[in-house]
Amino acid sequence: MTRPLTRPLTRRELLERAALGGAVLTIPGFLAACGGSGGIEGAGTTAATTGAAKDTTLAKKLTMSNWTLYIDIDEKTKKRPTLEDFTKETGVQVDYIEDVNDNDQWFGKNQAALKQGNGIGRDLTVLTDWMAARMVRLGYVEKLDKEAIPNASNLVSALASPGWDPDRSYSMPWQSGLTGIGYDPDKAGEITSLQQLLEDPKLKGKVTFLTEMPDTMGLMLQLDGADPTTVDKAAFEKGIKRLQKAVDSGQIRQFTGNDYAPLLAKGDVWACVAWSGDMVQLQLDNPKLKFNIPDQGGMIWTDNMLIPTGGDVLTASTFVNYVYEPKVAAQIEAYVNYICPVEGAKVEMESIDPELAGNQLIFPDEATLAQVKIFDADAADNAAFKSAFQAVIGA
Amino acid sequence: MIPTYYLANTSLQTGSIDLGYSFTWAWSNYSDAISTYHEQFVRSLVYAGVATVLALAVSYPLAYWIAFRGGRWKNLLLLLVIAPFFVTYLIRTLAWQTILSDDSIVVRTLQTVGVVEDGGRLLATSTAVIAGITYNFLPFMALPLYASLEQIDARLIEAAEDLYSSRMQAFFRITLPLSLPGVFAGTLLTFIPAAGDFINAQLLGTPRQFMIGNVIQSKFLVTTDYGEAAALSFVLMAAILVAVLVYMRLLGTERLTAG
Amino acid sequence: MRMVRRHALTAFALLALAYLLLPIVIVILFSFNDPVGRFNYTWEGFTLDNWASPLAVPGLGEAMRASLEIAFLSSLVATILGTLIALALVRYHFKGRGATNLFIFLPMTTPEVVLGASLLTLFLNLGVSRGFATIVLAHIMFNISFVVVTVRARLVGFDRHLEEAAMDLGANSWATFTRVTLPLIAPGIMAGALLAFALSIDDFVITNFNSGSTITFPLFVYGAARVGVPPQVNVMGTMIFLAAAGLMLANVLIQNRRASQS
Repeated sequence: MTRPLTRPLTRRELLERAALGGAVLTIPGFLAACGGSGGIEGAGTTAATTGAAKDTTLAKKLTMSNWTLYIDIDEKTKKRPTLEDFTKETGVQVDYIEDVNDNDQWFGKNQAALKQGNGIGRDLTVLTDWMAARMVRLGYVEKLDKEAIPNASNLVSALASPGWDPDRSYSMPWQSGLTGIGYDPDKAGEITSLQQLLEDPKLKGKVTFLTEMPDTMGLMLQLDGADPTTVDKAAFEKGIKRLQKAVDSGQIRQFTGNDYAPLLAKGDVWACVAWSGDMVQLQLDNPKLKFNIPDQGGMIWTDNMLIPTGGDVLTASTFVNYVYEPKVAAQIEAYVNYICPVEGAKVEMESIDPELAGNQLIFPDEATLAQVKIFDADAADNAAFKSAFQAVIGA
Repeated sequence: MIPTYYLANTSLQTGSIDLGYSFTWAWSNYSDAISTYHEQFVRSLVYAGVATVLALAVSYPLAYWIAFRGGRWKNLLLLLVIAPFFVTYLIRTLAWQTILSDDSIVVRTLQTVGVVEDGGRLLATSTAVIAGITYNFLPFMALPLYASLEQIDARLIEAAEDLYSSRMQAFFRITLPLSLPGVFAGTLLTFIPAAGDFINAQLLGTPRQFMIGNVIQSKFLVTTDYGEAAALSFVLMAAILVAVLVYMRLLGTERLTAG
Repeated sequence: MRMVRRHALTAFALLALAYLLLPIVIVILFSFNDPVGRFNYTWEGFTLDNWASPLAVPGLGEAMRASLEIAFLSSLVATILGTLIALALVRYHFKGRGATNLFIFLPMTTPEVVLGASLLTLFLNLGVSRGFATIVLAHIMFNISFVVVTVRARLVGFDRHLEEAAMDLGANSWATFTRVTLPLIAPGIMAGALLAFALSIDDFVITNFNSGSTITFPLFVYGAARVGVPPQVNVMGTMIFLAAAGLMLANVLIQNRRASQS
């Protein structure tokens, strides 16, 4: 380098050094989420307060987290009718945020704040059974104000008393779904048993299972005659071995989230462990596709409304009550097409869309409900079980 | 170095979400990591390596063409290179799944030609995973290559062609060496993130194709084994850095990273 | 023979471009699909309805806008900072150089989930509430590395004598920088900026952890995938791409017109 280049450029050098310093400081803290330094105050919340005393006034705003496209939409006005109606009736604005896209991701995102006892800026959130159970177990939720939810009596009896929240003090179902076998009868023939998926050579490489442990293992356990509502270690291990065999032989093509749906639709997969809500949609485009609850039994899962720590109990409970009105529930169900947890909504649905009212996958009858079980929430969160399952699915 | 210290700290912890985590000098996290998952580690490095080579093979001529023949259209062409990113990863992978579906024209043609065995498939195979990684990291290879190639004075090449007997020689003696900084940059930007990738294996592969990224993802989010996840991350980082250092030695760093 | 070779390169390049754009064609095609159900996986019929009402799905438009704003901001800042850092790294031998080199690589080697969670913890500990700003910050952080490496590739081959010549002719350092150096490394900066933009607009994992209540386009799509990604998503993606391409095309045409006028 010659002289003229060094001297005049020192100004720039300083600038660059500053930029460098800035960049180094901003290099992400490699603190893993469990928090290297405890005791530091977490971020503040924007939600309404909880009082130790009973709240008697509704907050001005309800902040709710939910899964994407999980509430009714009016495509013309681009609004959500149920929320609009709620605001009209109670005066409470609803800040509806569709930021739940995966139970584990949601928990990973929010657990640090919850652990410190802080709110997360939400009055309501919607999580699947086993994750809801974890939230309750860890104390990250507020109790519902049952006096504000007289409509709770409309809850269908099958979901009234899950093991992890027997009195429904912390949660109320939002939507449910069945887990069973979805298949294309033209390609796979009639499928009535999970065994066919695991062992029929005709189906080799054309079968997928779910990455959700409660769903896949729930079915595996029932195949061996075991009870998924109280999982026994030996039975679980037996099921894992059987599953591993099917993986090793190439019988099972992949473990999927709900990305089995395009594969089934296109014929790359002929039979899969599937969710009822997806099958309803797939059947609309291809009525030949079928959904069966396996002979040995299927599963039912629920996405539950919970009040995270710091949420406004009264306002949240009022909303829960609102959506348990059969008419409102039917309105939501007409769009969402999963399983409605509200008794009486079926009757309302008959005036909105009779076809949906008659759909077993949206309003299952007693006979269907008798065939499905809820997975043991403790087992769903058992570290050893989870690790064993993850090992089978590749991770 | 403080942040790295915290990651190291976490990697030596044990615990669970219910009981809390504590620092227990759990070197077992590291030994377990390597013994249980060495297969996925190796696989990740191999997949990333193959994808990088493929990306280089496809990107170099493309970048060369844009740099030297692009003229006024250069910026538009560059935009086309990153165009796939405007539709999210999920959508474009879905599109690939449609194109490479078991029953598609593509697969049936390949079966006829014999590349794919009868009754075989392209999806849910290592081919699909590597192809997915290659496709998604192509711009990371192409853009730095372009940046480096565009700088080369075309007259140098002309002069070389006058001096040497063939275009090939001119290319190997002049263009390629001058473009090495771009090759170096492109390979790094492709290989390093690709080694930690998980989504391609998840959507396009079977459990036998799962990479270390999938393991880390699972340990972190699903089983909340933060200690093991941190240890695995460290080992991955170390492995990548070693690979990069070896690569840099081979190419001769001073020339590539300093003026 | 020379003709063949000349065209071989063009043919190969066009094939490569076709390979890149093939899925986009499928995406555009399916934006015209008319499925009965909520899934857009098999071709059911042609319709222009989706294009007529691209914003019919609430949340989609906002998500797209958020993604674009974040991408612009973060790639702008990352490009400026990254270029400065690249210049510093290539030209000066300062004490922290080796370490800085390492720090540039470290974010790239870290798995996204670890990086995302670490950033989240950082924000939590600093008391920053998560939302738009934190997403932009997170994107800037990982984008800088990519810009630095890209610009550096350009700088390495840069002929310093040109700067010397400018200085000798009387230009001060700022003028030299803006009139000689910058224009010459501009393609490298452009490449880095485009890369940063692409990374930002498509990021999922890190964004998911640090997003608070802001929903970006990838977050929306990922969430929607559970119940069925509406064709309007395809429409949105296509529209943005066409808009960007249109801008670039206009640029070319303006340049052409200027050239033909002179």
